[in-house]
Amino acid sequence: MNYLDLSIKEIHAALVERKVTPLDLAKEAIRRAKDSGDNCFEIILEEQALAFASSLIEPEQDNLLWGIPYVAKDNLSTKGIPTTASSEVLSGYVPLFNATVIARLKEKKAVLIGKTTLDELAMGGMGMSGHLGKTFNPYDPTHERIIGGSSCGSATAVASGIVPFALGSDTGDSTRKPAAYGGILGVKPTWGRISRYGLIPFAPSLDAIGYFTRYSIDAAILLDALAGKDAQDASSSDAPFGHYADSCLTPLAAPRILLLDDIIEAVRDETIRQKLKEAEEALKKQGAILTHARFGEDLLAAIRPTYIILSGAEVCSLDANLDGIKFGLHGKGQTYESAMKDARTRGISSLTKRRFVLGSYSLLGEKRDALYLRALKLRRKLVTRTLELLSGQDAILTPSALTIAPKFDAAHADLSEKDKAADNHLTLANFAGLPSITLPLGYSNGMPFGVDFMGHAFEEEKLFAIAHSFEKIVGICGEYAGFRKEKHGI
Amino acid sequence: MDEKRETLIRLAAERLLFDLSEEECRILSKEAAELEDSMEEAAKIEGLDDYEPMFFPFECESAALREDEPVAPLSLEEALSNAGETVEGMIRVPKVVER
Repeated sequence: MNYLDLSIKEIHAALVERKVTPLDLAKEAIRRAKDSGDNCFEIILEEQALAFASSLIEPEQDNLLWGIPYVAKDNLSTKGIPTTASSEVLSGYVPLFNATVIARLKEKKAVLIGKTTLDELAMGGMGMSGHLGKTFNPYDPTHERIIGGSSCGSATAVASGIVPFALGSDTGDSTRKPAAYGGILGVKPTWGRISRYGLIPFAPSLDAIGYFTRYSIDAAILLDALAGKDAQDASSSDAPFGHYADSCLTPLAAPRILLLDDIIEAVRDETIRQKLKEAEEALKKQGAILTHARFGEDLLAAIRPTYIILSGAEVCSLDANLDGIKFGLHGKGQTYESAMKDARTRGISSLTKRRFVLGSYSLLGEKRDALYLRALKLRRKLVTRTLELLSGQDAILTPSALTIAPKFDAAHADLSEKDKAADNHLTLANFAGLPSITLPLGYSNGMPFGVDFMGHAFEEEKLFAIAHSFEKIVGICGEYAGFRKEKHGI
Repeated sequence: MDEKRETLIRLAAERLLFDLSEEECRILSKEAAELEDSMEEAAKIEGLDDYEPMFFPFECESAALREDEPVAPLSLEEALSNAGETVEGMIRVPKVVER
């Protein structure tokens, strides 16, 4: 076992005891990144990472992230480092500033070793629309299965053991679904909990910066580092935040957890169903108070169209700055408009363009009431129902996905997708701004799957405490593709 | 293909300054039709019209104004570093006024 395979807390202990150095860790992470055949990197920052890691000499005992290597989704601005959001329309763009999350991790002296692939402009769920092509699930050596998106590269980097943590973003379920397909943790904190300054936006009323880890304690450590008000982001919250890494170690006494039966019943994989039952029994034995309810199938069916309309409407006004003039792909034309049209048409892929157009279509005068306005009302209705169910509970438990990671050819890029009503429920946390965390639950045919806990706004402490207890029940935390505990006799 | 819908799709794309291929327009017409069907179905949800539109998850309760902090502005070189074409210290754009 390599030190890179341990939890952040364990790696930190080894760093403090000088059993390993930041340079050793960065070299090993870069070696693994280069060996990866899963197409998860936009860029590997070998020179910068090794130079920075070499400068870290004196371990900082109270700084758990000191010298820890990580990667960041390429929609996070990095000063002096190309940032494309996996879109040709941003080719050649080099930000002049760091996103706040990147700056905070730099202050903590974590070592950025690369920028990762995503669905173009974070607008997708399959990890196949970025300009570098498909990103693969590391559990499937045949490269037939998706890792999911949009944070595909970051998920794959953690799921293949390259780094202990990775930054992503989550507008619909873009950290949690790939986490489930990759057998790792995916965290979407409360809307406003982490500053989004420097995130290339998709839909700001839904966007959150999220991240991936292999242990719940690591997830708590990350939020300790990243949470808090940022003057650069007016939507960042000044709500108090706790010491998550400490508080998550204390189990909740008799946590109240609601299970959504209409989502559980929609699970198609028998192994996932069985594991959910076992988890339910184990939670009961640990003293959890479990309740069952139904969300409502008509409401579940409304999630996907509501999301497509609202996210599309927001992105089409926001990304008007992708004009091919000031940065990114240079547009050619005799007029300003033709130059802009040239850059946008050449620089944005067909699938992404369709999402923009559906948003614009929903805003047209004759469609606005039936589509955009109705979607806004549906959002309120869906959020009201979610909060009703959450009332009196500590968390809502659902399977993160109904199946293991699908194959690329079965994962349609159809934006209507009427047949998957119950597979879009993670988006409820985005509509309501609630924190939500996916954890690994098991394997079916060698492919991982996960479970999700959604909690109250700004109550991440409770979610981490539940997650910490839950991962002990499941017993597979820390695993990654090629590193299964049972094979190592752990 | 529904001609009216196709016209609206092309208008929506034009507003975004996108050229659409015939194939893209065909797929989009189908997707838009399905989206409209789904929203028609959702409109049957009891009491939906009584709900207020929801734009954000919750209000941002930021009462305090931040302190002013002097920061160095971008240099001219930095400000132009990402532009496709520059001339005499400015970003060059196609002419917007005809002679």
